[in-house]
Amino acid sequence: MFDNILFILSASLTVVGAFSVVLTKNLMHSCVYLLAALFGTAGLYATLGADFLAATQLVVYVGGVVILMLFAVMLTGGDQDKENKFGITKVPSMGNFKTFLAGGVSALVIALVVLRLIANVAKQNPQGELPEFTSSVVAIGTKLVTDHVLAFEISSVLLLGALVGAAVIARPAKRGE
Amino acid sequence: MNSTIVSYLSQFEGHKKFISILSEALGFDATYLVAFLVFFLASFIVVNVMALVGGLGTYAERKISADIQMRQGPNRVGPYGLLQFLADGVKMITKEDIIPRNADKLLFTIAPLMALVGVFGSLAVVPFSSGFILTDLNVGVFYLIGVSSLVGVAIFLGGYSSNSKWSMLGGMRGASQIISYEVPVTLSILAIVILAGGLSFSTLVEAQGGMPHQWYILHNPFTFIGFFVFFIGALAETNRAPFDLPEAESELVSGYHTEYTGMRFGFFALAEYIEVFVVCGVAAAAFLGGYKVPFDLGTGDLLVNTLHLPPIIGRNIGQILQVGSFVTKTLVLYYIVIWIRWTFPRLRVDHLMTLCWKYLTPIALFNLVGCAVWLYAFDGQSVWELLSHLGGASSGGH
Repeated sequence: MFDNILFILSASLTVVGAFSVVLTKNLMHSCVYLLAALFGTAGLYATLGADFLAATQLVVYVGGVVILMLFAVMLTGGDQDKENKFGITKVPSMGNFKTFLAGGVSALVIALVVLRLIANVAKQNPQGELPEFTSSVVAIGTKLVTDHVLAFEISSVLLLGALVGAAVIARPAKRGE
Repeated sequence: MNSTIVSYLSQFEGHKKFISILSEALGFDATYLVAFLVFFLASFIVVNVMALVGGLGTYAERKISADIQMRQGPNRVGPYGLLQFLADGVKMITKEDIIPRNADKLLFTIAPLMALVGVFGSLAVVPFSSGFILTDLNVGVFYLIGVSSLVGVAIFLGGYSSNSKWSMLGGMRGASQIISYEVPVTLSILAIVILAGGLSFSTLVEAQGGMPHQWYILHNPFTFIGFFVFFIGALAETNRAPFDLPEAESELVSGYHTEYTGMRFGFFALAEYIEVFVVCGVAAAAFLGGYKVPFDLGTGDLLVNTLHLPPIIGRNIGQILQVGSFVTKTLVLYYIVIWIRWTFPRLRVDHLMTLCWKYLTPIALFNLVGCAVWLYAFDGQSVWELLSHLGGASSGGH
């Protein structure tokens, strides 16, 4: 019963948040609604017993990504200036037939791919009770440094590259160059 | 399943009896109902006590600052001015609630609530004692870091939505400061997590002992440095002086909450003071032995064996001692935080970032590697255990 309540709460938070993100006209507001949707997703993970994933969702998205998005939106002007200096609207294709077509087609393709993936999983594991709750921290740690060590290392090299790149871009130019 | 306050209570006879009586009276299994009620009551108590601690924090801040500056401090309302915070609270509630006309109303209203939600959410895993912990999540530390970062979003939104230059600058400073200082703080907690071998707060605390030489701060040189890195970082994360740049009075009027009036401002202030308590509690739990009491008094076994008390009473006395130990350590750290605030001048913005990225983060990384090497080389023994081995070996050799 408790699981059901948690599921309903977090699922509705996710869905309402996600709809508000696309329905609101204010970019800052949609960032905050996105925060709600991400919180709901963390709740969904917790419902499924993926405790580590839920906490990671909180740390990465709430603490990092949403603040960075807010920063980016704020510093780039947000919805205050919709026109560039030539008087042309910056996002001309927002909301006309072309965008709806492109959005609809891509949503359809993504939905088909995801459903295809889920169908396989659903066939192998018929719906039933969740397994007894066990901590997933140890399992994830073991998997990361044994089976998936290559992916782990490659992603850390990628992140290191991003870090170095950011430092190079942000460094003030030397005199005489 | 994670151990919670319910699982602590369920080992007593009275709890089972209560459930069975309630089940008969209501006609269904009341286990979940009782669990819900216990959680509700415990959360209610914790939130209210913490609000009280936040209120008394403002009083302590004024009194200690007055002491440092050779003034009297609040001394009119109640004995020694103790009820000053209640008077302030009443004043805040009765003030006119002003929302600037050009403010972003939705975000302006949400931001103070978000700050409080973030702080109260982090209270769920604070280990007051081995039994009195709302829920001992097995990713407790990680959860706490995630939830408390909501305060950063709240400060930023509060600064942005006020539509004022001062607020905006304060909010930007707050967000960048909180994001940056999360790195050394998390890394120095991670060093402790490596030594303890678990992310839950009970694992961290149970791996330590009651006496100071069994605490993680004195475990090895790396954790000793790590504690100070953590504490400095925690000061910056809670926007306390010398890192209170987001609300720097002398430059930014009062930073991100310049435009807030009445209880909305009160929420920000309350969130700050409670967050300081939570952060001090985490420092106490991770580095200073948390709720551990010397001579294992916390489990109550000693009392039961020597005084021949019934086990239930012995255990509950142990719990009370544990709460006392935890709260004492936390409040000592709380005092130090206030002391630091009124002793050091404020840093400049670029000095702040230099301190974080060029000093604290490399030191924290070095500590992390050092702790891992220590764990591998000495099998996780502390300096004192190694010294006693050394003494034992030399005396045994002759």
